Amino acid sequence: MPEITSVVDTLDERKPYIELKQANKSGELACDSTSVAGSMSQRACVYSGARVALNPVTDAVHLVHGPIGCASYTWDIRGSLSSDKETFRTSFSTDMKELDVIFGGEKKLSKSIDELVELYNPPVIFVYSTCIVGIIGDDLEAVCKEATERVGIPVIPVKSEGFKGTKSDGYKAACHALMQLIGTKEPEITSEYRINILGDYNVAGDIWLVKPLFEKMGIQVITSMTGDATADSISKAHGAQLNLVQCSGSMTYLAKWMMKEYGIPFRRVSYFGIEDIAIALRTTAEFFGSEEMMNIAEEIIEQETNRIMPEIKKIRSRLEGKTAAIYMGGAAKALTLIKGFRELGMEVVIIGTQTGKRDDYKEISYQVKDGTVIVDDANPLELAGLLINQKADLMVAGVKERFLAYKLGISFCDFNHDRTVEFEGYDGFLNFARELDTSVNTPVWKYVGSKIEGAYSEGSRADCEAEEKTKASNKITGERNMQKIDPITLHQEPVA
Amino acid sequence: MSERNYTTVNPCIMCQPIGSVMAFKGIEDSMVLLHGSQGCSTYMRLHLAHHFREPVDIGSSSLSEKGAVYGGSENLKKGLKNLILRYDPKVIGVSTTCLAETIGDDISRIISEFIEEEGIGDERIIIPVPTPSYEESHNSGYIKAVEAIVKTFTLNDSKKEIFNNKLNVVLSENISPEDTRELKHVFDSIVGQNSYILLPDISETFDAPMTGDLHKIPLGGTTHSDIADMKNSAATIGLGITNDNKAVNYLEQTFDIPSQNLPLPIGLEYTDRVLAALSNISGVEIPDEFQKERGRLIDAMVDSHKYVYGTKVAIYGDPNNVLGMLSLALENGMHPILVVASSKSPRFAEQAMERVKQVKPDCDVTILEDVDFDTFNDAVKKAKPQMLIGNSNGKYIAKEMNIPLIRFGFPIHDRVGAQRLLTLGYKGAMRMLDRITNTILEVEDTELAAKWSEPESYVPLSESSFHSAEA
Repeated sequence: MPEITSVVDTLDERKPYIELKQANKSGELACDSTSVAGSMSQRACVYSGARVALNPVTDAVHLVHGPIGCASYTWDIRGSLSSDKETFRTSFSTDMKELDVIFGGEKKLSKSIDELVELYNPPVIFVYSTCIVGIIGDDLEAVCKEATERVGIPVIPVKSEGFKGTKSDGYKAACHALMQLIGTKEPEITSEYRINILGDYNVAGDIWLVKPLFEKMGIQVITSMTGDATADSISKAHGAQLNLVQCSGSMTYLAKWMMKEYGIPFRRVSYFGIEDIAIALRTTAEFFGSEEMMNIAEEIIEQETNRIMPEIKKIRSRLEGKTAAIYMGGAAKALTLIKGFRELGMEVVIIGTQTGKRDDYKEISYQVKDGTVIVDDANPLELAGLLINQKADLMVAGVKERFLAYKLGISFCDFNHDRTVEFEGYDGFLNFARELDTSVNTPVWKYVGSKIEGAYSEGSRADCEAEEKTKASNKITGERNMQKIDPITLHQEPVA
Repeated sequence: MSERNYTTVNPCIMCQPIGSVMAFKGIEDSMVLLHGSQGCSTYMRLHLAHHFREPVDIGSSSLSEKGAVYGGSENLKKGLKNLILRYDPKVIGVSTTCLAETIGDDISRIISEFIEEEGIGDERIIIPVPTPSYEESHNSGYIKAVEAIVKTFTLNDSKKEIFNNKLNVVLSENISPEDTRELKHVFDSIVGQNSYILLPDISETFDAPMTGDLHKIPLGGTTHSDIADMKNSAATIGLGITNDNKAVNYLEQTFDIPSQNLPLPIGLEYTDRVLAALSNISGVEIPDEFQKERGRLIDAMVDSHKYVYGTKVAIYGDPNNVLGMLSLALENGMHPILVVASSKSPRFAEQAMERVKQVKPDCDVTILEDVDFDTFNDAVKKAKPQMLIGNSNGKYIAKEMNIPLIRFGFPIHDRVGAQRLLTLGYKGAMRMLDRITNTILEVEDTELAAKWSEPESYVPLSESSFHSAEA
């Protein structure tokens, strides 16, 4: 039975999802269920899960089958970068209207696919289904199957009806779509060591700070999913001997499938923070069992750490002892952030995720110190209460949480789609440290909640007089006369 | 791209429910609950937070598969209950999404049941607004919500019927919080501080001062007593002329309140029109303050005319905002070569054409509505404007064409200050004109810089000469 906490004021139904870590009490946090209606969850829907996981495929046409809103709100919001085509940043929708809802949208979808093939000539089309498609019963699979035969490129359905589960189910839908592509082309092998980078979305160009490290170690990176991936590279993913999974919430499902289907094992890694990058490189070298590779890895780790350490140390001296709150979409990022904060001398006091699973929370609970609050599927009021109660100095989360933190006078760091600097790799960690330095140490926070000092107000006059009396008994200063000028007399001065 | 018939590429519109949310955000102590899947409310919160840079809370009934099959009544009731427990709003707007509409949930009935089951009295008002996402756009969602709000409040409070001699002012399209503040200043000064009722009022709710306190529901918004009092007013002004302002029509038809619809006061002449109407309705001369402001605007127009005259611009966005900006451009001798409204409205094209004929009859202008950005892109390539004026979503086209984009309207998610953008009134026109002119000057500077060689007198002194100066 989880510890029912009164850590923060919330609905009774939400209490099992919030836990205060205490010694000798290993509570089990409730998680992995649909959000409570009216609780103001920060989560999105199945479609959103599929969209964030799949959308970075750069040269694909991502066609949203549904009314316009779903495409409108997700147009180019991912922050992923491409080294080649930018088709994925265009928003495509069948823009279903009332008549399509009544008579079905299959025909419109087919014609839409034909039209897009002709206009954009993409290597693949992903067709996302939205809530309404699941209700009116459009047979997406049949339409896509027919289209594939007709147009000669894979047209892949992404079964992401918004209401059919949670964001995690959307990740699975995206993985299923990727499975249709993997193994359809033969990879060009250039090295005896080959990996895929899974669960990295190349936000702000993250992958470009990571891939070169592996290449230096003599490894061929066949594809990265899905950041900066092309349909072509995904098709050849089965040529790898190892899958490195970073965002485990979204891509473990695919990694497991590749293990079963192609016998490719996977390792969970992170490219964030000095310790975790080192672990990632060593794990990979260890896997391939090459001493030469391990030596290069050690060389990289030493050189790069030494390179960034002076500045990191300088920044750490300014961040030491500050407290952090983490609220992330997935657990993998939350976990690696705990270490990252530690490396910068900061303590985590709140940690939560939208989609964490039982094992994730166990691991999180193991990693954080007593007194830390762990929360699943939090909402704004809970987060606000926790930020105040736990005295957080900084929050790291996404856009929706940003302004909540600001209103409370708490600094904020975006570790989601909206950031424009890399946080992965060695230079990425330096960027992260610099951003925290800016966020925490800007002078603006001291003005939040401040008042104009020294101004006259009705209330302050009485206070002032009382203060005067006490002051007078202690010490009489020349300034006293100045303060005694009655503001009323000033108002009575003749007005021209 | 070439001819498309089936696919919408880069949409100019959002769906109806977000319009409803924007309207309710201008009502005191109110919240919106969307009846649909969890994603809808989250996406809209994200979209609005990007623009207004404020926390935006929107409830969701979090419909699941079970709810979709057996009806969402249970979810909606639970959502309402929890929303009340946590936020305790006096007004709750319930808007539908495509999912709720398609499974055929009757939200009015569910809400009535809820009110009865929970014993909710007059102290709380729940307003259903059906806004299926597959119909129309965010603009119609806004109008529908404002109408529903007025209807509910004027019905609920049917006892008080005392003529209040006030003026109703009802918006039919979203404007910025700063614009709302400017409007209120104009009405305060001409009609009198307590002599008008502005609906909706997002001046505080979407742009709250930073105090270090977080309010569950942002303070501000049109007060409930004011909305209930709208039926006792002497007259109504609808702001926005391209759409039917349903709330205005309702007030006129039900309570015999004479009304007139006026354009959003953007640019000199539209502001003149609104101020003249206010002055006539209230029987008050236009205060000196505005006469002076107007004079300064004309001064600004004279200062700018050489730079802006003939500049080819493409203006796009929501219909009433675009119409106002078209008017401003024409008055300043610019050449609005392409004018595009995001959604279809009954009188946009006609009003835009009329304005062109009034000011610059020989102006060759293309007017489009209800198109996506891909179509707009084609039109831009054909018309070759020198500048775009519209929301952030035009940035791709501006970049490709290598022309400046003056950000205006909704959404602006890639620059700060959208909530503080002032476009309305003489002051707004001045700000806008200065921005346009300075952007042109900036471009000219860059072009000139490329032609200039460094004048000899500006060649920096050599390092040694600095040292000698020191010595």
